[in-house]
Amino acid sequence: MAARQHAPSAPTGDGITIIGEGIHVNGRITGEEDLRVEGRVEGAISLTETVHVARSGVVVATIEARDVVVDGVVVGNVSATNSVSLEPGAKLVGDISAPRLIIADGAAFRGNVAMTEGGESAARNRAAGGRSKSATRARPASGASRAASTPSARATPRATAASRKAERSVTPRVAAIRPPKGAQNVDEEVTVVVRHAALSESEQSEASSDKAAKKKAKKAPPRGRVPKRGKRSVNRR
Amino acid sequence: MANTVIGSTIVIDGEITGDEDLVVQGTVKGRVSLRENILVEESGVLEANVETSTITINGTVTGDIQASERAELKSNCRVVGDIRAPRILIADGASFKGNVDMDG
Repeated sequence: MAARQHAPSAPTGDGITIIGEGIHVNGRITGEEDLRVEGRVEGAISLTETVHVARSGVVVATIEARDVVVDGVVVGNVSATNSVSLEPGAKLVGDISAPRLIIADGAAFRGNVAMTEGGESAARNRAAGGRSKSATRARPASGASRAASTPSARATPRATAASRKAERSVTPRVAAIRPPKGAQNVDEEVTVVVRHAALSESEQSEASSDKAAKKKAKKAPPRGRVPKRGKRSVNRR
Repeated sequence: MANTVIGSTIVIDGEITGDEDLVVQGTVKGRVSLRENILVEESGVLEANVETSTITINGTVTGDIQASERAELKSNCRVVGDIRAPRILIADGASFKGNVDMDG
């Protein structure tokens, strides 16, 4: 006897609601899990998850959900926070509002479409990933310049006032020449390099010592009244 | 054939009719009218007048129940309302308040 039989055993699928083919729901359905409509629903559906209208399903209702998949008949406005998908068996009359809309071949649809913002945020984040990478690439360069400035600061006590002036422009060159070494004994080497750089700088900038001036004067041919390159006058002797 | 299941987080406010088995894990308010079996799970809440063939209650039902064959109240269930059915089973531990009519 049918009376002897117990009510149907609960199906295992947790977190999914099914409106079966023989069921007619008239009213409002709300919830936080997937809903599969194989029967008929009239009224309103408001979910935080996916609404799936099967091929046998008929929904005459306003649908709000994260995702809406239609393979049956829907009459009413559909609004999704993620996507609306119209499968080949879909027949939809109503307006669609969703960031993503997929319409398969065979689907029938009449209504307005509003593709709202929000669904592309993931894609946008992916595009922004490259920019942050280039920013990290720039960081080692600034670190190197910081390392170069440190030894020059150590050298300042030995450097003269004149060389100190030159040092500023020379520092980058020091950084380029200096071979990569440990923190120890770097002090001496750097000092030498700075001194050389200061010497050449002073030659060019006319702040040379007397010795250098005499050397230049000897070498310079006396016939020319034209001042040597970088000198103001020839009468330096 | 897939049974109809009202999941635990689902609330239906309105009317359910049909000729198919129904499992209620969530909440149904309004009216339920079936020609088959209803199973109210422990998490299920039925605040509705119910017409059906058989009903098995593990959860909570508030409303009148009219079963053409059988109504079964399991232990731990809570029922408030009148029951009208030819056969009514009430298990030890069940909570029930209302009238019983077994005339059929």
